[in-house]
Amino acid sequence: MLSIKNLTASINGTPVLKGIDLEIRAGETHAIMGPNGSGKSTLGKVLAGHPAYEVTGGEVLFEGQNLFEMEADARARAGIFMGFQHPIEVPGVSNASFLRLAYNKKAEAEGRDELDPLEFDDFIHEKIKVVAMKEEFLDRSLNEGFSGGEKKRNEILQMAVLEPKLAILDELDSGLDIDALRVLGDAVNKLQRADRALLIITHFPRILEIIQPQFVHVLSGGRILKSSGKELALELEERGYDWVLAEAAAGGAR
Amino acid sequence: MTSAVASNLLADLLSGPRPAEWDKLREEAETRLARLDLPTTGDEGWKYTDLKALGGITFGPAPEARVDVSSHLLPEMVGTRQVFVNGHHAPHASCVSAVPAGVRFLPLGTASEACHALGTVGPVHNQSPFEDLNTARFEDGAVILVPKNLKVALPLHLLFLTKAETPVAVFPRLLVVLERGAELELVEEHHGEGTYLTGPVVEIRVAEGAVLRHERVQRDSVEAFHLGTLKAEVAKGGQYHSRTLSFGARLSRQQPWVRLAEGAEATLDGLALLGEAQVADTHSFMFHAEPHASSHQLHKCIVDGQARAVFNGQVLVAPKAQGTDARQQSRNLLLSETARVDTKPQLEIYADDVKCSHGATVGALDPEELFYLQSRGLNADDARNLLTYGFAADVLTHIPVASLRRALRQLVMARTQAASLGDLA
Repeated sequence: MLSIKNLTASINGTPVLKGIDLEIRAGETHAIMGPNGSGKSTLGKVLAGHPAYEVTGGEVLFEGQNLFEMEADARARAGIFMGFQHPIEVPGVSNASFLRLAYNKKAEAEGRDELDPLEFDDFIHEKIKVVAMKEEFLDRSLNEGFSGGEKKRNEILQMAVLEPKLAILDELDSGLDIDALRVLGDAVNKLQRADRALLIITHFPRILEIIQPQFVHVLSGGRILKSSGKELALELEERGYDWVLAEAAAGGAR
Repeated sequence: MTSAVASNLLADLLSGPRPAEWDKLREEAETRLARLDLPTTGDEGWKYTDLKALGGITFGPAPEARVDVSSHLLPEMVGTRQVFVNGHHAPHASCVSAVPAGVRFLPLGTASEACHALGTVGPVHNQSPFEDLNTARFEDGAVILVPKNLKVALPLHLLFLTKAETPVAVFPRLLVVLERGAELELVEEHHGEGTYLTGPVVEIRVAEGAVLRHERVQRDSVEAFHLGTLKAEVAKGGQYHSRTLSFGARLSRQQPWVRLAEGAEATLDGLALLGEAQVADTHSFMFHAEPHASSHQLHKCIVDGQARAVFNGQVLVAPKAQGTDARQQSRNLLLSETARVDTKPQLEIYADDVKCSHGATVGALDPEELFYLQSRGLNADDARNLLTYGFAADVLTHIPVASLRRALRQLVMARTQAASLGDLA
């Protein structure tokens, strides 16, 4: 589904990604872990099409299409979703209106029927159950005045509404208490399917106890230093990141 | 040169006969006017707002006219409306059958009990002649009196319509008095067609513990000049909350002045949506005269084309006004290279135990916000239009009259090219 080959990217002329290779197939869950400043959030933003990052080399194919020939909105309509670490507040636009608009833009792109406000009302009331969101959050302005946890809940609601092929979740666990993390983690698990892939970007391994990946990659200094199965997450939980960095440094010196 | 044009304008406007009643008030105003000129950009308070465009237009007196008001009616207020056309009360278009007993909602001409209160709120504005012009020449106006402890359930609707076949000048007048513990929601709308000058004056007295919520909608014609004055005195523990929404007029100026007594609260929110060569100027004055009062101002402008927005927010905290909480925000969205905003807070604080904050932003849309919306599948244009709509609609969110809120959201959708996004209202 997603094939990343030797991807390099920079921001304001400073290289951040220095050669990433990654293959993600439908049905798989991958975790990108790494210390702060490793470039893991950058990878998510580059894949989603953030305009501040310049792709300086390499190639990314999403279902055979060159990702970098598509604007951020075209990527979203093609099935890429990024759950933001810090979702943006949009005053004056109700959450429900926004969700309907986003849903209908995607439906239009896929040649499906758009939903009118009444139809959407029924649809969204089923969806908010998945993330245990209170109804009042539909009428409030998009993310405005939401707590950190409520914003993350809303991101997963958007994922449930947009039904992406590839969901990139950037630091889903930041700002969440353990109960909220459990609810959202379970919601993401319910949304995982054989034709969908997940890329979980996280600093802390605890979320990976709920959303269990088949593949764990450690990113540091803009490169993937180590890839392994889910047992790597447990090892990182116990030992931190330093040993991976040291191992990589030793390997590099060899 | 400018002042010659100006003097002519004032002289022309005063040349007609003095309307009946309120002779003493009118004489005093005329005496002050004899010493006043139309302000020029050389005057500090008018640096960015040039009244030169008024020169060369001869504004005649406005005749009585019949109009069809059906398109302006709002379902919540069908039986609580007073309509004024060209400054004259329009009984054929008004209906007060649902106004609760005890509430006086009348044309000035029939409300003799208003005589003593008219012209007594706040100081007379001495930096511009428009308040005095109104006092000297208003034909009629509305009076609202809400007695002690009466909480009026239905909102009241005031419609000031102007229909100008040839250029006319109109001077709507409004006096609102809430007695102790009274509560009221008031919607004041200005609409019009053609070239005209309107100089409304609104006087408000909110007594102890009373609460007035005031929605003000300015949808004058794009050839109109709107030069408005508002003065409110809020007594101990009283509340005055207003929202001024400016969409029309070639040139508009709002001059709200609010005096807060002990523990009083005031909100002066504003939204201006400007395009082409429109100019909208707000010069507000928040006077914290006594301790423990709080005030909030959120003033937002969306400026496109060659339009220009001006905001000057003066806050005066008197020496004895300890415990004042005054907040002011001026937020401006520029949609074109040639649009312009001049915003300036002006805080004068003479008490030491106060919380005063102010902030101003002028700029284009935030790229992070645009990216967020694009990452959900909205193309760049749709994302821009949605954010622009939201920027304005934010001010409309808490309008209590549902039909008005919806109508204004639709207006904002149309004006921000958000209509293609479907119904967001």
